[in-house]
Amino acid sequence: MPVNVALGHVSNAFLIAALVIYSLSVVAFAGDFAFGRPRRAAEAARGQQAQDHAAALAPVGAASAAGGPAPAGPGVPATPGPATTGGEPADGAGSMPELEVPALRAIREAGRWVVAAVALAAVGAAAHTTAVITRGLAVHRAPWGNMYEFVTALTCVAAIFFLFALIRYRAWTLGVFVMGAVVVTLGLAETLIYTAPGDLVPALQSYWLDIHVTAMTLATGIFFVSAVLGFVYLWVDRYTRRVAAGRAAPGNGIVRRLPGIEQLDRLTYRTIVFGFPVWTFGVIAGAIWADQAWGRYWGWDPVETWAFITWVLYAAFLHARATAGWRGRRAHYVQLLGFVSLIFNILVVQVFIAGMHSYAGVG
Amino acid sequence: MTDVRAPETDPFDAAAERDDQPRPGPSSPGAAFGLADWLKWLWRQLTSMRIALILLFLLALASVPGSMLPQQGGNPAGVQQYYTSHPALAPWLNRLGLFNVFAAPWFAAIYLLLFASLVGCVVPRTFRLAGSARTLPPRAPRNLARLPRSAEYTTALPPREAVEVAARVLSGRGFRLRRPDDEDWVSAEKGYLREAGNLLFHLALLGVLVSVALGGLFGYKADRLLVQGQGFADTVSALDEWHPGRFVTAADLGPFTIKLNRFDASYVASGQQRGQPSAFDARVTYTEQPGGPARTFDLDVNRPLSVDGAKVYLIGHGYAPQFTVTDGRGHVVYSQATPFVAGASGNFLSEGVVKVPDAQPEQLGFTGVFVPTAVNVGGTLESVFPAADNPVVSLIAYAGNLGEDSGPSQSVYQLDTTAMHRLTTSPQVLAPGQSLKLPDGRGRITFTGYVPWVSLAITHDPGQLPALICGIAALGGLLLSFTIRRRRIFVRARTGPSPGRGTTVQVGGLARTDASGGFEAEFAGLAAELKSAHEQAAPAPSAPPTQRAESAPPAQSAESAPPAQPAESAPPTQPAPPTKPAQQQPAEHRHEGE
Repeated sequence: MPVNVALGHVSNAFLIAALVIYSLSVVAFAGDFAFGRPRRAAEAARGQQAQDHAAALAPVGAASAAGGPAPAGPGVPATPGPATTGGEPADGAGSMPELEVPALRAIREAGRWVVAAVALAAVGAAAHTTAVITRGLAVHRAPWGNMYEFVTALTCVAAIFFLFALIRYRAWTLGVFVMGAVVVTLGLAETLIYTAPGDLVPALQSYWLDIHVTAMTLATGIFFVSAVLGFVYLWVDRYTRRVAAGRAAPGNGIVRRLPGIEQLDRLTYRTIVFGFPVWTFGVIAGAIWADQAWGRYWGWDPVETWAFITWVLYAAFLHARATAGWRGRRAHYVQLLGFVSLIFNILVVQVFIAGMHSYAGVG
Repeated sequence: MTDVRAPETDPFDAAAERDDQPRPGPSSPGAAFGLADWLKWLWRQLTSMRIALILLFLLALASVPGSMLPQQGGNPAGVQQYYTSHPALAPWLNRLGLFNVFAAPWFAAIYLLLFASLVGCVVPRTFRLAGSARTLPPRAPRNLARLPRSAEYTTALPPREAVEVAARVLSGRGFRLRRPDDEDWVSAEKGYLREAGNLLFHLALLGVLVSVALGGLFGYKADRLLVQGQGFADTVSALDEWHPGRFVTAADLGPFTIKLNRFDASYVASGQQRGQPSAFDARVTYTEQPGGPARTFDLDVNRPLSVDGAKVYLIGHGYAPQFTVTDGRGHVVYSQATPFVAGASGNFLSEGVVKVPDAQPEQLGFTGVFVPTAVNVGGTLESVFPAADNPVVSLIAYAGNLGEDSGPSQSVYQLDTTAMHRLTTSPQVLAPGQSLKLPDGRGRITFTGYVPWVSLAITHDPGQLPALICGIAALGGLLLSFTIRRRRIFVRARTGPSPGRGTTVQVGGLARTDASGGFEAEFAGLAAELKSAHEQAAPAPSAPPTQRAESAPPAQSAESAPPAQPAESAPPTQPAPPTKPAQQQPAEHRHEGE
């Protein structure tokens, strides 16, 4: 079927609209930092809570560590055990005060700037989604068959996934970073690697494109959010340590409004927990497709190799979080390294290194 | 190693702490350190999470050269080219195994150590899981308000019955219970599948490795170039390349035959994507064994043919120009389609050679270029489209000794001209039907036409299905371990708050790392369910109203509360219902003061 050129133009128009609306939402998110209501919860109170939680956990931990009927059982006073090293309790984002308020009310209470920013981000994501769908209708296939389409789709996933996280975890203070990164990425894709709608080579004409590349697009969009959160984590972590060392003045207005360091860590962790199985599925689906198309399910093609490296690095992140001396900052360096390898795979390996995955359609 | 999701210290599992504690090592003062101790120490080091992490990094790092340098397995021509362009460096890289990274001993060492580490971690954990599935949950702590999640309310039921009701609710939700007969508490635990999923994930990875090894030992890979109209039987002599696994012999090849009836390639004719292939179709006839019934099949890039335990793939195509050569005696000494191979210049500008060993008085050889859609650009021929719209060949003729009788066996795509002399000064361009007359009465060569050829890959991999099953199992295990949380719920009942005014029920909850979140909501729902169960079980007239403000934990996450929550519960007497120990402690102290 020939490409529907008119629909392609509609898609482009929606994409430009999404870019503009996203930019406005970034401005509104930044406006919240500049003029919005200060957060109710003070950092100090939150830190105190965290310590209380950790202390409360200690006797239970000791009891079960001994196994079965507990010699250090009920009634034994809490002694600071190893369990306190973990900081916050394990069971979730309980210390985010807004979680007890329904999401929409919490957004309303956060002030006009946040309402405007979230609304703009949502409208932008709707326009973005429309752009991706109309592109798909224009070319009669999944609209992620070359690099330009891949980037527009993955930023769409990132925006929607972040909106979901924003609502579930009341994380709008991170909006300026995530949506800002989406705007920059989408803008670069639009200016540097725009590719007109077209057909695919026979090697890509398979329903496995819908399965394998869709999974990879989803996972990349999710990891995109993880990476931005990782950067924010490292920034807040660095600032906190500088304050502790007396090398920076406390009370940075932006850091004060951001979630605490443990919350950032947990939020990032959850996004990766979400993305990792999707990536794993994408690699498996890719292996099945490779078996169909090339006669082997794994051949260490450069792109396969880098997908494997990415997988190993994210697995290392998950393990690092469970290893003393690797929690926190180091784990996030690992995570960002994983994302760097992912981006390297897309931007360098698929474009410049000859292999069987050279479908980028760039240059 | 390898608890994928135990990021924080884990009150459920003492072993999760193991990396935090210093271990006696060779440098520990005091006790003598014998060989057995050394081995034990080494094993413990190997199975520690830290070493596993380092091995994971090494694995990632070691893979990098495999993607940056051409590899023997995937791109042998690239390796040849690298030798030509870096003659000094290439032999060293080869010695280090960098042209075959994924088969190099050092690469194997990394992943074998990693899998040894995995086994050393997973096997003891499997036993521990089996053990913990047999033991009862721990006793309920005395002060449940100090747990990360807690709730409290009163009921008219006496303590023993209140615990009984709670036990019924928890057991109905699939919790394992511990309920002593002579005390007024119950502890409940759930979510063992989380750890089971985690173990399944790691064991399945081991299975993937074994499957890959299985394919390497018992499978084979073969290539065959097939010109349209030709056929072949799957025997070693008929294959262009054959890479058998260690335990595969020629007798293991399936005796099927394949004939290429017709091959069509179509290309985008205009626009930005002009020249990009749009469809391939190879019509083949095959038989399961020689003499068997013939079947036809449309082979396509994403559509392999399964025959006799092997799979046949379409992996490439090209043009085979047809030549007829008449020698000096007037005999037709060559008449066949000769596969030419597309070069890097694009649009199927293909190169090949024609060798005529039977020509008299001297052997003849030709190097040629096939141009599917030829355009003369400033004196050189270029191909502007991959389809054969204006096909020509350009030939250079040689006479002399082809050198086929002596020396190493030659490639059919290369002409050894050391013992030959050139017959034509410049390349001669021929259109179909045209001939080139050779000088000195050596005869003529006629370009009669062209046919397409395809290259087929034939593979047999017995590890394929096991690898797929293990991959799916790994994914399933991953999902289990990420979505299920292991959690404990405790319920205590005691008489009070004041004598004769019913029973105070305390509910406490604790979850191991909650990777996907949601324990908060689950606990709220469970607390609400317990409360409504107690209200229903209580004798109606004496049911006390919910008079205590702090007894309203279910309101804590109203948007995610399950439907089990009764509408009349949790009057919003406070703007933000307290759920945290810090805020509940005053109430707790009040209890103890009474």
